[in-house]
Amino acid sequence: MSEMNRARPSIVSVAGLSKTYGSVVALDDVSFSIRRGEVLGLIGPNGAGKTTLFECLGGVQPADRGEVALLDGHERVRRGDVLFYLPDGIAPWPDEPVDWALQFTLDFFGGRRELYGEISHRLDLAPLGRTRMKALSRGQRKRALLAMALLTPHPVLLIDEPFEGLDLRQSREAAKTLRRHASLGRTLFLSIHQIIDAGRFCDRFILLSGGRTRGEGTASELASLAASRMDGKAPGDFEEVFLALT
Amino acid sequence: MRSLDPWLRLVGKEWRGLLASRAWWVLIFLIGPLVGVTFIGAMRIYAEASGLGGTTPGVGEAFSPLDGIWLPMFIAYEIAATFLLPFVAIRLVTGDRQSGALKLELQHPMSPLARIAAKALVLFTGWCLAVVPALLAAALWKLYGGNTYVPELAGIVLGHLLNAGLTIALAAAIASIAENPSTAAILVLSFTVGTWILGFVASLRGGLWERIASFTPEAMLDRFQHGLIQLGTALAALVLVAVGLVVSALWLRLGVSRQRRTLESVSVAVLAAGLVVGCSLLHVSWDVSENRRNSFPETDQEALAQIRTPLSIEVHLAPEDPRRSDLEHQALSKLRRVMPSVNVRYVSATSIGLFEQAGSGYGEIWYNLGGKKVMSRMTTQEGVLETIYGLAGINPPQDAEPPFAGHPLMAEPKGAAALFYGLWPACIAGLGFWILRRKS
Repeated sequence: MSEMNRARPSIVSVAGLSKTYGSVVALDDVSFSIRRGEVLGLIGPNGAGKTTLFECLGGVQPADRGEVALLDGHERVRRGDVLFYLPDGIAPWPDEPVDWALQFTLDFFGGRRELYGEISHRLDLAPLGRTRMKALSRGQRKRALLAMALLTPHPVLLIDEPFEGLDLRQSREAAKTLRRHASLGRTLFLSIHQIIDAGRFCDRFILLSGGRTRGEGTASELASLAASRMDGKAPGDFEEVFLALT
Repeated sequence: MRSLDPWLRLVGKEWRGLLASRAWWVLIFLIGPLVGVTFIGAMRIYAEASGLGGTTPGVGEAFSPLDGIWLPMFIAYEIAATFLLPFVAIRLVTGDRQSGALKLELQHPMSPLARIAAKALVLFTGWCLAVVPALLAAALWKLYGGNTYVPELAGIVLGHLLNAGLTIALAAAIASIAENPSTAAILVLSFTVGTWILGFVASLRGGLWERIASFTPEAMLDRFQHGLIQLGTALAALVLVAVGLVVSALWLRLGVSRQRRTLESVSVAVLAAGLVVGCSLLHVSWDVSENRRNSFPETDQEALAQIRTPLSIEVHLAPEDPRRSDLEHQALSKLRRVMPSVNVRYVSATSIGLFEQAGSGYGEIWYNLGGKKVMSRMTTQEGVLETIYGLAGINPPQDAEPPFAGHPLMAEPKGAAALFYGLWPACIAGLGFWILRRKS
């Protein structure tokens, strides 16, 4: 996996991204790259700046400083053509039924119609088709939102907490669906606070803590980095890697 | 067509949002009874006055449907545009931000102006549907045998459409900046109250305050309601509508820093102020009232238009003095429309003029035409014209126009109460219930 990842070209390069809220530093000189076709996990403790980073990348919040280069700096590409950001905790179009919301996503963004049936089936959305968005439970809404993101035509998806609110079975099904779309060439950048889930699911990781990048790489690369910080003692699992580096 | 497709989808989405908005249904529901109250009240007074009076020139003006029916009836729309429409607009603009839909929609590379244009179009269409009761009232008036002079009715409708446009643009701009709907509602109402205070101060202080107050939506609407369409006023209103929508669009860009959005908004406001001042210099206007209440008789208009020498008028009357209002409405406002260059200057030391009366110069109106000066105290149309003709050395033209005879109508507003208080609310309640239920 590691060798394959290295061979992948970068689709998004972030350099020196910074953001402050008054005196609070949310992002401090964050730099990393997203490689084409990978599943990149953004992990970090609460308040690490994960959502701020996603919002800045998604263009729904201004960064104070920094550069975001798309497709190796291809000038004619707009951010909105490449990245699609799915925030956590939103309830868009509350008075509309799920079917309408999915159809609107397809029509408005020029999405992938051929995927509609498969995504709806995998995320078990058919029974919710006529339910209004505001009447959905947290998990149901998360599934509907994941479907919207997957239906968009954007090559890179930034999803904040994709498994939040889902039960074990639903999490597994959602993970399988996301994986399948990654294997079809979609690049996924996911913010996941469950370290174990992230460790199982992602190809590479960005460790964010206190608004700074504490590490970037595959699980084994991060384990090596953690070992060097623990006086050569190998970390037992991915949680220990996370604790050592953040 | 393909690039238009996402925008049309957005318009469709906004339309569904409007139909799901209880605020809009309340507006549509209430506008019927509001029109009913004003229309039926105006009809009764009009009928009573028609039964009492003849059609002599003096009384005839009272029987103009513009003053007797349309002006009071359209107060319903002034109330709705002030107290109901802003909430509908705020709900539609802030709803997407509150639900998080805006964060998704913003990721489509559509211009923010196109986004806000979609909302404005839907809101304006929603307001146009609210005009249906006014059209029903006009139809009833016709059925009762009332006279309808289409240009003056069209003028008043145009004024209210512009007023609604201003309300929508203002509410959209404030809702985009304030983010929170409650804050936006308070700010919009504060703006409205502020314009009322400005109007009050202007009536007391005159001068610069009066000029500033002439740009408020209320002052703009007043001109349309009196059958006067001024190109400058209409263009200034359109500029302000555009500014409100542009500012709203600027603030929809969540990915741009607040400092930059503020700077851009201030730049747009400064540019707009310049354009509005430019519009105020345009003196093209049309008197669309049937009784030509904003114009002198045709023969006088022709005679006055021939006077090319600049005319200066210095009026020593206080802003609250009723003679000043008479002079302004009966003569000076008409004079400005017909003479190429008239400069009017009001001079007074107090607001009400009560304690200036004893002063020797108070009440004097000085006319200066090409260096020839004359003083008069007359504030009537005839008195002013006589003074100007005397100064210009022109024989007063013979008045060839018959006086406006008016359109008295002794008719009871039969069926109007059932239509506006019963049928309209019932239909709207039923339709609203059905649509909202279908969506649930």
